[in-house]
Amino acid sequence: MAARWSSENVVVEFRDAQATAMSVDCLGSHAVLSGRRFLYMVNLEAPSEAPRKIGRHSKWDVGTVQWNPHRSEAHVFAASSNQRVDLYFWRDGCGEAHTSLQGHTRVISDLDWSWFDPELLVTSSVDTYIYIWDTRDTRKPTVALSAVAGAAQVKWNRRNQHLLASSHDGDVRIWDKRKPNTAVEYVAAHLSKIHGLDWHPDNEFIFATSSQDNSVRFWDYRQPRKYLNILSCQVPVWKARYTPFSNGLVTVMVPQLRRENSLLLWSTLDLNSPVHAFVGHDDVVLEFQWRPQKQGSKDSQLVTWSRDQTLRIWRVDPQLQKLCVSDMVEELLEGMTLTVESEKSLTSQEPEGQQGVGPAADILQDKDAGRLDSGSGLAQTLQQEFSLVNLQIRNVNVEMDAMNRSCVVSAHFGSHQVHLVVKFPVQYPNNAAPSFQFVSPTTIPSAMKIKIQKILTDTSLQKVKRNQNCLEPCVRQLVSCLESDMTQEDSPASGPFVLSNPVTPSLQAFSRVTSTYGSYQDANIPFPRTSGARFCGTGCLVYFTRPITMHRSVPPTEPTPRSLSALSAYHSGVLTPMKMRSESQSTLRLYSGSPTRSDKETVSISSFYYKERKSRRFKTKREGVDYSSRPIKLAGKVIIQQISCLLPVHKTLGESYILNMNDIQETCQKNAAAALTVGRRDLAKVWALASAATSQDLSPDSDPDTETPWARHPFGRHLLEMLLDHYSQMSDVQTLAMLCSVFQAQAPSPDGYSLYGHHSSRLHSRYPSYTSSSVNSGSCSSTSDSITVSTWNTVRDPEHPNPWGESSPDDYRYGNHGYTDPREREQELHDMNKRLLDPANTLQFDDFKKCYGEILYRWGLRDKRANVLKFTSSPPEPHKGIEFGVYCCHCRSQARGTQCAVCKRLTFQCAICHVAVRGLSNFCLSCGHGGHTSHMMDWFRRQDECPAGCGCHCLLQSTF
Amino acid sequence: MVSVINTVDTSHEDMIHDAQMDYYGTRLATCSSDRTVKIFDVRNGGQILVADLRGHEGPVWQVAWAHPMFGNILASCSYDRKVIIWKEENGAWDKMYEYTGHESSVNSVCWGPYEFGLILACGSSDGAISLLTLTGDQQWDVKKISNAHTIGCNAVSWAPAVVPGSLIDQPSGQKPNYVKRFVSGGCDNLVKLWKEEDGQWKEDQKLEAHSDWVRDVGWAPSIGLPTSTIASCSQDGRVFIWTCDDPAGNTWTAKLLHKFNDVVWHVSWSITGNILAVSGGDNKVTLWKESMDGQWACISDVSKGQGAVSAITDSQQNEQ
Repeated sequence: MAARWSSENVVVEFRDAQATAMSVDCLGSHAVLSGRRFLYMVNLEAPSEAPRKIGRHSKWDVGTVQWNPHRSEAHVFAASSNQRVDLYFWRDGCGEAHTSLQGHTRVISDLDWSWFDPELLVTSSVDTYIYIWDTRDTRKPTVALSAVAGAAQVKWNRRNQHLLASSHDGDVRIWDKRKPNTAVEYVAAHLSKIHGLDWHPDNEFIFATSSQDNSVRFWDYRQPRKYLNILSCQVPVWKARYTPFSNGLVTVMVPQLRRENSLLLWSTLDLNSPVHAFVGHDDVVLEFQWRPQKQGSKDSQLVTWSRDQTLRIWRVDPQLQKLCVSDMVEELLEGMTLTVESEKSLTSQEPEGQQGVGPAADILQDKDAGRLDSGSGLAQTLQQEFSLVNLQIRNVNVEMDAMNRSCVVSAHFGSHQVHLVVKFPVQYPNNAAPSFQFVSPTTIPSAMKIKIQKILTDTSLQKVKRNQNCLEPCVRQLVSCLESDMTQEDSPASGPFVLSNPVTPSLQAFSRVTSTYGSYQDANIPFPRTSGARFCGTGCLVYFTRPITMHRSVPPTEPTPRSLSALSAYHSGVLTPMKMRSESQSTLRLYSGSPTRSDKETVSISSFYYKERKSRRFKTKREGVDYSSRPIKLAGKVIIQQISCLLPVHKTLGESYILNMNDIQETCQKNAAAALTVGRRDLAKVWALASAATSQDLSPDSDPDTETPWARHPFGRHLLEMLLDHYSQMSDVQTLAMLCSVFQAQAPSPDGYSLYGHHSSRLHSRYPSYTSSSVNSGSCSSTSDSITVSTWNTVRDPEHPNPWGESSPDDYRYGNHGYTDPREREQELHDMNKRLLDPANTLQFDDFKKCYGEILYRWGLRDKRANVLKFTSSPPEPHKGIEFGVYCCHCRSQARGTQCAVCKRLTFQCAICHVAVRGLSNFCLSCGHGGHTSHMMDWFRRQDECPAGCGCHCLLQSTF
Repeated sequence: MVSVINTVDTSHEDMIHDAQMDYYGTRLATCSSDRTVKIFDVRNGGQILVADLRGHEGPVWQVAWAHPMFGNILASCSYDRKVIIWKEENGAWDKMYEYTGHESSVNSVCWGPYEFGLILACGSSDGAISLLTLTGDQQWDVKKISNAHTIGCNAVSWAPAVVPGSLIDQPSGQKPNYVKRFVSGGCDNLVKLWKEEDGQWKEDQKLEAHSDWVRDVGWAPSIGLPTSTIASCSQDGRVFIWTCDDPAGNTWTAKLLHKFNDVVWHVSWSITGNILAVSGGDNKVTLWKESMDGQWACISDVSKGQGAVSAITDSQQNEQ
């Protein structure tokens, strides 16, 4: 049979190609063969022509190559090369590499173009990630599916644009690209590695897997626990792919000693023997693909590439295609497939999970009666049912005897055995249910027997009422009954059915216990840091490194793994191939085996590193010391390092800088001297300049007509701005803040009018809360703030609108002032021009001071901080919360804050010293008496009655 | 001179994952795979164990000190999916709050600027970022940004409290209108900026440059200049410095600091924001400084006694 069609093929040899992969484009005109040095473009219309070449420069072989399956993008193909995918354009007989997709960190195992979106490409890699790329943005993948285990195959579903499947060793995962975090379904498909994965061309739910375990299995992922069908082979199966015509499947085996290099064509309806063999290749078939046919052509062409360096094209004519659909007419078969599928999606919702083979068989019976040559019509139906029954259930055996119209179902579950005889009446399945009878050696209790019997009868009646076969649903019911019963009886771990279903436990949310540390759930968790450095405080660098005696158990050329799941390899003692390759066994000492930890089963990050027991450096010195008895230190030391010399700010300067409002010259000179003592000669010069610029000789005249103010001179404001720019770039906030403060002080506003009308700067807080009052005002040092601000918050001259800032708050108040006298306006402008600090940047300068204030605070220099913050122009945060009104002690009018609005005197008198309180005060909420905080503190340390003598027990009355 | 002022032997039973000093530089907190957090008093070169905090059921990844105006408060996050906030009361450390709202390892915690009160950002491998705020009635309010980073969030870092945009336009006498912002890095190779608007957290920017997981992000402290700076480091070995001069905060430009040979785990800014400490899988710490012309140079192996960090790493190794 085989010889008949095999002779039809085209054979072309490409001796030097050394190609590892092949792909046929969607137009059927070209095949690309990818060798190490060149990509060969074979014209399939004239395959014997010398192929065109595209050079490539890589030391890696091409892993997979694939043309874009969309006609609009038919000129594009992707080739994977180690960690990279290159996109090539093939146009007008020449091709070029276009872009690369880089993102995987290990070799790419497979790639697949989307069937729906010509821009989408999926890649899988042993780095455990599956990336979906959009060729319009090649910088990084658009979707990353984290699979934990390295994938060997990845394939898009052909019917559902969101779904894809990947194979991981013996498992298959189904993904929805919209839910990248986790697979939507797990299928524990094979016990050995899956080499090939292929979606059904027409059915969204069905795919085929080919595996090292000598089988091809067919799956519906909605029923992940049980394959639909199995094709058992004698040898491992390399690839199994559906044919473009119905019900066909082509397999390539992993060649064994006998060197069987043929491709086999199967009918999925009858897996007992292949329909056809494509014989001809002398070596392993590396790739086979179907060449798309011109419209109207009934033939199909299979293009194969083998290690024997020949490309063959096999014609599969309609006759051969028909063999795949048995002897039936194609139309009928197609109709049937549809019926089967629709039935499946329906039945899958039913609890018993019926396979839907029954109805399909019914159609077979109706349309194809007489195909079997023995027995009556009815017996034949039963025989048909038996032959189609799909019951590959673990621990369950069904012996069917069509002649006697009976079958024996035997099942073993745990310690129980069940033997059930099913007898089918002659009318079955036409509204005649079979009988069920338990026979010895059935060991289940009789109550259980009755229960099962009832369930089976119900199930069978339901089916036969619709003239449907019921054997398979009944057996499945039986199994599920027994399983659920066993689960109740035994703990899940010991139940045998758990073993048969390894997927379920792994999907359970892991318990709070950390025994799973480093397991595969940790694939999303970053690999822990074992060294780190952090700037702390103002001038410290805190860092820790792993001890020098701990070495990475991978060579330094390997990057540190990114995810914690990498640890599982070290935990279980399984060596990754990477390690096998690069490290000899003897040097691998997993920490878990060391004496201090041998009792603990937990894996730790330290497992990644191994301890060097003898430091080479001290080897000679310390020989003879029993190292094995010494506990091993896993934690390195934490080093605190003084790095303040690297910073542009100096604590010494912070201490020695002064800000004397009354003598700016002296301030500048002293600061210059201070700068010299810490070796900042540049700062000494800056202070000298500041001294010169603030000299009395240069103080501006109040009359705008006499002279241009010094600020307008190039050495005036411009020079200062240059200085500020320079120190901004150096991040020297200390110098910035000090300069701003000095020049602010140099040009204070004359009248001391308070723009912001401060009233809340002095907080009256209750006695004990004077420490926590800071929380209310938003800063630890509100005490110093409040004093300073009230006195000094006058620097901004409110009488003068600022012409530079449209949105300045002053505009609201002064924007509508009509300037009656132009001289007044000139005077105002002059006042602005007099200043060395550009008033437009006042808020910026304030920020320097605030930031420097923070640093001073960390240094513990609170007075210095207060001194600097005096010069900020913006108001402090207004007080929020409870505020106490005060009756002025002089005029009895109601006042807020410390100063009476009416008599302008301080409102609150201390009950002890009878002096008005200017600073912090506390008072009793009950009697209203109080005074200086320090006096109150002293008083109540010894007393509990009010110092005013009102008899109030302040400490008890007030809620403090 | 750069000098070692203290070497703390933590006596952790397993590897250390983070070490951080408090605001004043007087206490050191460390955390380890041995599931404990330890606090040492390190004043004047001493190392007195103040507290050994046990409560986590898995390795503890990171610690964070709150601003001292709130008291002595430390947050820690762990593989066990918990965030624990510890507080010292009368000299004794105790749990103040335990947050269990994440479904996977919590990888990063960071306290916001004190201007916002006590607010903690937590980034987890479940992809979410939680924001825990202490309300007036001493309850912790939780806001969660779900799916902030696909696969997982590895790092969070707060922006300094500055008024958005230019520094003008502040009505007098009112509280400055600070906008809460922070940056996060995750397994989607992205750096994301988040902003609070009307009490809701919104993704403000998405910065793409890394080709692998982003392992740490650090928002540089402000010295009052209108520029924002962020450092990010990644599994791909690259460290990027992101800057934004745009008052609206929309235009960020990336500059590659360096490509290291191994993963970079951590970046940390000096208080003046001009030195960056970088550490990673190669067990080395390097310091980087921006020169006047805007170039970044490694200063830790430059002379003038500044080579100390690498040098000291060696001497430390000799000790052990």
